[in-house]
Amino acid sequence: MTSLLEVSGATVRKGERALLEDVSLRVAPGDFVAVVGPNGAGKTTLMRVALGLQRPDAGRVTLNGRDVGALSPRERAAFLAWLPQRVQVSEPITAQEHVAAARYRFTESHRRSEEAALVALARVQAEPLASRPITELSGGEQQRVAVAALLAQEAPLVLLDEPANFLDPAQQLELYALVGQMWRSGLGVLCITHDINVLAHAMHAGSEGRIRVLGLSKGRVAFESHYDAPDLGEHLGRVFSVRMRGVEVENRRVFVGMSLERGE
Amino acid sequence: MRTRLVVMLAVCALVIAVAPFIGPPMPPDARDFILWQLRIPRTLMALVVGGTLSLVGAVYQSLFSNPLAAPSTIGTTAGATLGALVAIVLGARTALWGLPLITGAAFVGALGVSLLVAAIAAGRNVRMNDLVLAGIAFSMAAGAISTGVQFSADSAELLTAMRWTMGHLPQVGYQNIVMLLPIAAVSVVGLLTLTRALEVFISGEEHAESQGVNVRAVRMASIGLGALGVAGCVAWCGPIAFVELIVPHIVRRVLGVSRRVLLPCSVVVGASFLVLCDAVARIIFPGKETPVGLVTAALGTPLLIYLVARKSS
Repeated sequence: MTSLLEVSGATVRKGERALLEDVSLRVAPGDFVAVVGPNGAGKTTLMRVALGLQRPDAGRVTLNGRDVGALSPRERAAFLAWLPQRVQVSEPITAQEHVAAARYRFTESHRRSEEAALVALARVQAEPLASRPITELSGGEQQRVAVAALLAQEAPLVLLDEPANFLDPAQQLELYALVGQMWRSGLGVLCITHDINVLAHAMHAGSEGRIRVLGLSKGRVAFESHYDAPDLGEHLGRVFSVRMRGVEVENRRVFVGMSLERGE
Repeated sequence: MRTRLVVMLAVCALVIAVAPFIGPPMPPDARDFILWQLRIPRTLMALVVGGTLSLVGAVYQSLFSNPLAAPSTIGTTAGATLGALVAIVLGARTALWGLPLITGAAFVGALGVSLLVAAIAAGRNVRMNDLVLAGIAFSMAAGAISTGVQFSADSAELLTAMRWTMGHLPQVGYQNIVMLLPIAAVSVVGLLTLTRALEVFISGEEHAESQGVNVRAVRMASIGLGALGVAGCVAWCGPIAFVELIVPHIVRRVLGVSRRVLLPCSVVVGASFLVLCDAVARIIFPGKETPVGLVTAALGTPLLIYLVARKSS
């Protein structure tokens, strides 16, 4: 099967420093890939490279087999939709208008965009927010609307950049439940996070093994594993410079970090 | 929302229809001349200029995500002033193909400076704030040269220059409109085709790019087409202040921020706003024509202060 997104040997330098060094990654339809790592590990750079917002100094990025730099923004938008950490809306546009704007890649009437926006809002149970200015919504509601925009773009691969960073625990749970829904509906998901445990909310029974985890550290791929791999805790611990142990809570595996000094 | 739109458009239509009849009473024998050769062409000119300036203001505010962005932000006005001053000092009473040399020089100056800024905007990793800075730098440079030019001018030339920089609408006939209209039309129609892309810009440039907008192309088209329209308006009417700043804010307040409404309505509201200001200019000091730029500034300054005060509170 061809990959939707394939990053091979991507290197990005900023002056002397390598923000990203020889990173490779593939996402096929229906894949869930989590990219984890501490702040400054290169997660955001990797995301920008995947989106075509930044050209790698070496290596190659392809979407559906074609070089990302050779694609027009519209062609890229047809493959890849992006959910930023939070919506940076500068003006009080309504939720429906915001979602309708995400249909830019389609050549269609505005009426059609608005209808599609309502459908997308309904899929995330945010229909009542449709005519509310987005700037007046809570952080959780805003991300819900942002997910609707993501769906409205109708791309087969979604790229999530720490989407729950600014949310409280209930909102995080809600958001990752939506991410799980998108994944089950067949989308490829590339999710960047420094908190591995939020992924538990996106899972359904038996799906742990299908979540691939890619650890980044200092711009390099530190490990590649699966969510149910027995040694994932050790890998994570090394990347985050703590001791990490996986524990079962209500049939879900979560990871707890402990300081290195007091170790055995 | 729909009701508001209808009311706003009705008010605009009313203003435009009534404006030519506002002014000092017309003697019966000169009525036809005053109406058809003076007031109606002036009203038409105000329509074209007010609509174009307001749309460019709305587009720049969207593009720069800055409520205070205006054609002057990217140096258009300063360039026009420089061009006009040079022409005035060179003793330009002459015309070229029926085009007054002052107008031509102002147009070249306005377009020249804005295209320099647009060329910077074409760069790959340029941030919008850098563009604003570049615009300010070019404005200051053009302003300094203008001061130098003024230094070498005599008092009659200085008076002409001062009048020009106040902003005015040409006095007689239809010829000016015929020349300005195609320029303004290209600018307005071209900018309106960018509406959908500018709507996506509301959620940030990079997000817009990820949703399929060619950000560099939209940026260059907006600045280029905007500069063209403004250069035309400034060339014929001088720098008429504040229209491009106030009108989009009024529309935004009343009808919301969706670019689909904001941009076309800015054209209509801007057109009738300048028509109204022109009518006010005819009657505010009886027996004297007040430059319309003074009226727009007098109406615009309080509003701008109000907006800034509201924003900071």
